Amino acid sequence: MKHWAIILVGLLAGCDSRPDVVFADAAITLPDDLTELPPGPGRQAVVENCTACHSPSTMLQQPQVPRAKWESIVGKMIETYKAPVDEKAIPDIVDYFVAVQAAQATNPGGSAAGQ
Amino acid sequence: MADGNDANGTARSRLTRRALLAGAGGGVLAAPVLAQRLIGDGMIDLGLPGGPSERPLTPRFPGKGEMVVHRVRPPVLETPMAVFDQGTITPNDRFFVRWNWDMPTQINAAAHRVAVGGAVRQPVSLTLDDIANAGDHVDVVAINQCAGNGRGFSQPRVTGGQWGNGAMGCARWTGVRLKDVLAKAGVADGAARVRFAGLDVPMVDGAPQFIKSIPIDIAMRDDVLVAWGMNGESLPLLHGYPLRIVVPGWFSTYWVKMLSTIEVLTGDDDSYYVAKTYRVPTAPVTPQDKGFETVPITAMPPRSFITSHADGAVIALGQPLELRGIAMGGDAALAKVDLVGAGLELPCELGPDEGTYGFRRWSLRIPEVTGDLAQIGARATNANGITQPAEQAWNPSGYARNVIERISLRAQ
Ligand code: HEC
Repeated sequence: MKHWAIILVGLLAGCDSRPDVVFADAAITLPDDLTELPPGPGRQAVVENCTACHSPSTMLQQPQVPRAKWESIVGKMIETYKAPVDEKAIPDIVDYFVAVQAAQATNPGGSAAGQ
Repeated sequence: MADGNDANGTARSRLTRRALLAGAGGGVLAAPVLAQRLIGDGMIDLGLPGGPSERPLTPRFPGKGEMVVHRVRPPVLETPMAVFDQGTITPNDRFFVRWNWDMPTQINAAAHRVAVGGAVRQPVSLTLDDIANAGDHVDVVAINQCAGNGRGFSQPRVTGGQWGNGAMGCARWTGVRLKDVLAKAGVADGAARVRFAGLDVPMVDGAPQFIKSIPIDIAMRDDVLVAWGMNGESLPLLHGYPLRIVVPGWFSTYWVKMLSTIEVLTGDDDSYYVAKTYRVPTAPVTPQDKGFETVPITAMPPRSFITSHADGAVIALGQPLELRGIAMGGDAALAKVDLVGAGLELPCELGPDEGTYGFRRWSLRIPEVTGDLAQIGARATNANGITQPAEQAWNPSGYARNVIERISLRAQ
């Protein structure tokens, strides 16, 4: 039924210089994120502090960077993006990503999906 | 709008992959393009130097075919390079997707409003029908490319979204001119910039909203649109339904999605995504440099790609060779494409011109292959005389990659 209505509008609009545009309500369901953070010390701190705004793949895809860069990334999340991060958890979070990247380095290609 | 075809997405993706693999012996699908490799098990290797380079091709997103899934939330999906060999218009279901903050997943069309305010004579709140009736309906074929497209190839590598080269696409956009929408409110004297906001607001207090502005002279261009149509369909939600800004020739960071606010500014824009990020150095820098001057990234430079052959592909010695690909002029028309390599510079033939800001096909017939073709690449030049460089100037955010993309072909 709905499709007929749209076709009809289209035909009627055919001779108009400003054809009708039909704006319908719209909704989608986004898929679940099945990405897993690899096991390791600090994983829980990352789950609690770093997954509210984005999937873990945001972190797992990053190229090899030194510890200081992970510290500055966490700082940017807190200062710029107002991430509510538990200060005491920061060293654990940084350690975790340094360790995950060290493991990635020994795995050529290294899946960023953490699968 | 809710295409809802994700229920059988898994089955379909398996089918597609099998079809691709089955095609590996010959035919159109024979070669994965450039350095990309389907590595089975629903993964693709983007060839990013130093890794991590593998990305999943799942999960399927509603209304989307097979995409490189960088991130599920907020969605970041890349177009596999093989799609660009199929045509100059990128189908909606293969077009790249990129959100900085969580996206709304539902739109109530009757309730949607676009507020036009700031330095205007009379602030107005427009319905979708008001927008559609604001002026002539205009079609523009234009490339939408992420400022960070190709960031993953940056050397040295930089942090941020680790794209291959598929954060780009070309569509036919339909809408009304932004200037006709602005006329509903009347631009006041002293207008300097026009800023856009969408419905994708951060859920954290004090976090910067993804708002972007363009200079008033750009806003008044005849081809800058408030668009609702993408390749003859309404904008998919993932691409910003019900309305998005279209700025042909400029990077997609300005093409604000789910448009809800238009604000005329009388001075500089000091908001985060203009004043602090999406900026490039004004002069060449090295990774050691700090505190250099930067400006917002705006217009796109020319780019081109070989899409007919993968890096390392085998070509027939003594036989003719057909090479083809796509090219863009950026913020000016494409003028020419040359195939370049060591001691090689061959002008290519250009396909139909679908608009200044669209992709254009190029092709080249080499009458006889006499040996390997090492490190060959397409090189685009635009109507302003800007040519793709042989070396990529490094910048700390990995923006605006447009180096000549090279492959090697083995003759045997
Ligand atoms: C309040 C929301 C929020 C939280 C919580 C958050 N981030 Fe982010 N993060 C962002 C935003 C926004 C971006 C930029 C998004 C984009 O580019 O798509 C980002 C991007 C990133 C990136 C990509 C690199 C970059 O600089 O853009 C990394 C890595 C990252 N976040 C790590 C983390 C870590 C580690 C944590 C936990 C300490 C964290 N994030 C928590 C909002 C958040």
